[in-house]
Amino acid sequence: MTELAYRSYNFFTKRQSGLLVVIGLLVLLLLFGAFISDRFSSASNILNVFEQSTGLALVSLGQTMAVLTAGIDLSVGSMISLLSVLLSGTIDGEAARVLPVCLGIMVLGAAIGSLNGLTVIWLKVHPLIVTLGMGALLQGVTLLYTLGPAGSVPFEFDFVAYGRVAGLPVGAVFTIVLFILVALFLRYVPFGRFIYAVGDDEAGARLMGLPRKRVLVFVYAFSGFCCALTAIYLVGRFGVGNVYTGQNYTLASITPVVVGGTLLTGGRGGVIGTLFGVYLISLLNNLLNFMDISTHYQLIIQGLIIILAVSVYVEKKRAV
Amino acid sequence: MRTFKIAAAMAVASIAATAVAAEVYTGAPRTYLYNPDVEVCFNDTSQYKKEGPYTIGFSNAGLGDSWRVVMQHSVMTAAAEHSDQIEKLIITDAGHDDAKQVADIQDLISRGVDLLIVSANTQQALDPAVSRAMQRGIPVVMMDRRIASDNFVTFVTASDAMMGRLFAQWIVEKLDGEGNVVMLAGQAGSSPSENREKPAREVFAQYPGINILETVYSDWSPVKGKQVMQGMIAKYGDDIHAVWSAHGLQTPGSVEAFLEAGWAPENIPPHTTADVNGPLQMAIEHGIPMLEVGYPPAMGGISVGVALDVLAGAPVPCIYEINAQIAVSEGHNTPSIQTNLRLTDLVVPNGAPDMLVTGGMGQDYDPTTYSVDYPK
Repeated sequence: MTELAYRSYNFFTKRQSGLLVVIGLLVLLLLFGAFISDRFSSASNILNVFEQSTGLALVSLGQTMAVLTAGIDLSVGSMISLLSVLLSGTIDGEAARVLPVCLGIMVLGAAIGSLNGLTVIWLKVHPLIVTLGMGALLQGVTLLYTLGPAGSVPFEFDFVAYGRVAGLPVGAVFTIVLFILVALFLRYVPFGRFIYAVGDDEAGARLMGLPRKRVLVFVYAFSGFCCALTAIYLVGRFGVGNVYTGQNYTLASITPVVVGGTLLTGGRGGVIGTLFGVYLISLLNNLLNFMDISTHYQLIIQGLIIILAVSVYVEKKRAV
Repeated sequence: MRTFKIAAAMAVASIAATAVAAEVYTGAPRTYLYNPDVEVCFNDTSQYKKEGPYTIGFSNAGLGDSWRVVMQHSVMTAAAEHSDQIEKLIITDAGHDDAKQVADIQDLISRGVDLLIVSANTQQALDPAVSRAMQRGIPVVMMDRRIASDNFVTFVTASDAMMGRLFAQWIVEKLDGEGNVVMLAGQAGSSPSENREKPAREVFAQYPGINILETVYSDWSPVKGKQVMQGMIAKYGDDIHAVWSAHGLQTPGSVEAFLEAGWAPENIPPHTTADVNGPLQMAIEHGIPMLEVGYPPAMGGISVGVALDVLAGAPVPCIYEINAQIAVSEGHNTPSIQTNLRLTDLVVPNGAPDMLVTGGMGQDYDPTTYSVDYPK
């Protein structure tokens, strides 16, 4: 067995340390929060945070896949905005259109994403540039389509964002299931392991005859698909799509990925770490609200976390 | 009895204006007096009556411009003045992000607030979150920016529609019904912007000689306002005959753009403005025809008083309109817009350009050094 394949089989053990760090921090936050206010640790607040984390979790899932191949997807924010206005604009209050339009939006998201992947392959340009350009292009298309909130969705559509079954938020539970499925796919399906291989050593992967192009198209298509899910969730939450709905998600989607232990250099990490990263950030924002810390500090703290997380994990890779 | 009460309550707001000139209007809101409806809509709030002291949550859309800073200070001042009834005022700032404001509202509910004051970032996106708070029995007082539906107890505002119409009618009459207008709006999707644009378009539409060249968005910022107006000037040049600006925050940017593009001051087209000192200074210095219709940030403090009315179970008007000043540059009254108040009566000649002349915070107020001990 080659060194490369050996490494890709053992990714799980290698990402464990990162995962433990995130879970440790999460527990610390919970304890600290409970100390600050007894309402913080109430079930209703924790379930709220769980519910609030859904949008970020979905977009970060796709981002993790791109980063695992040593790429990045900077078009996610504009893609979410575009898909959200198309979604509510096309449904336009008609209950009968909800299902077909949602399916159409998922296909469109995957199609735009695969265009990202194909462009990376054809032009041999770094994904950073390709997806940055795609993001600008999609924002332009969004503004051509509408300058403000477009259309509407039936009132019941907010079930995807606020619905509770057996007391649990449906969107958040769906998200956990999706993360577990993707984690299993990455671990047990050969194509999933190729994603790590491409990110770990692209030249090596090419030499070994791994389907590098198919992997790249797949991860960006999947990221686009995740943007569509995020757009559906956000339209449920806001009752309408808007031209800048996704704007903040471009940067925000990268934070949980690096906090969760996936290396920006690719090949190391995984989606479960990202999920805990999302919970960590959502819980932190909630706690900062409880502590009456201004929004400006919330941004500063998030920035510091990214830098800290990247530096911690970079050291780990050098040590390998 | 009811009508007397509302007129009296609203008149209080007008005194909040800092302008000291004798011409300052201190009567009841014109929108109330001239309202042709026989009955004004009131909401019964007896279901929200509870014993104090109260915890009130204020979910602010953001502090993205000087108007919003003064408005938030006005909220804090009012809370300090009512500290006998208010145990705690919790303020969140959504940084003009819809997702954050939805989460903020949920967090405030988790923290056990008795009432929410909400200034919604955009009127549609916040609708589900605010409607849900109401469903859970938490009364919501909207302030400055409402949600699209009527799922709130009351909305404290100055009349956006009146501003939009007066601005538009004045422009129509300044242009004798013939000419091209650029609409320099605020933030796309926010209710103050939309609720001024729409009535203004209705007015313009009645005059076939008036042509709206384009509607551009300034995000209530002089810098962005200047940028987009530079674009408009490059594109249309002399064909711009008037600038309908949804507020005074972005007006200085537009005037600067004309000056820098080489316009002689006397050729700068008529502009509209509100609240901000800078545009008044510019209009006086350069002789620019300008109409000011105020949208006082003092509504922040007034919303706290309204919130206490709701928690006392007193009926409140469905839309709580406060009074606004109407002022015009010398010699620019028109048949429909007749006011004794001049820009020179409102302006603070040596004051900072970004200060608000309608903040109601007193003469010594300075937003950079302001602090108040409100119940936290």
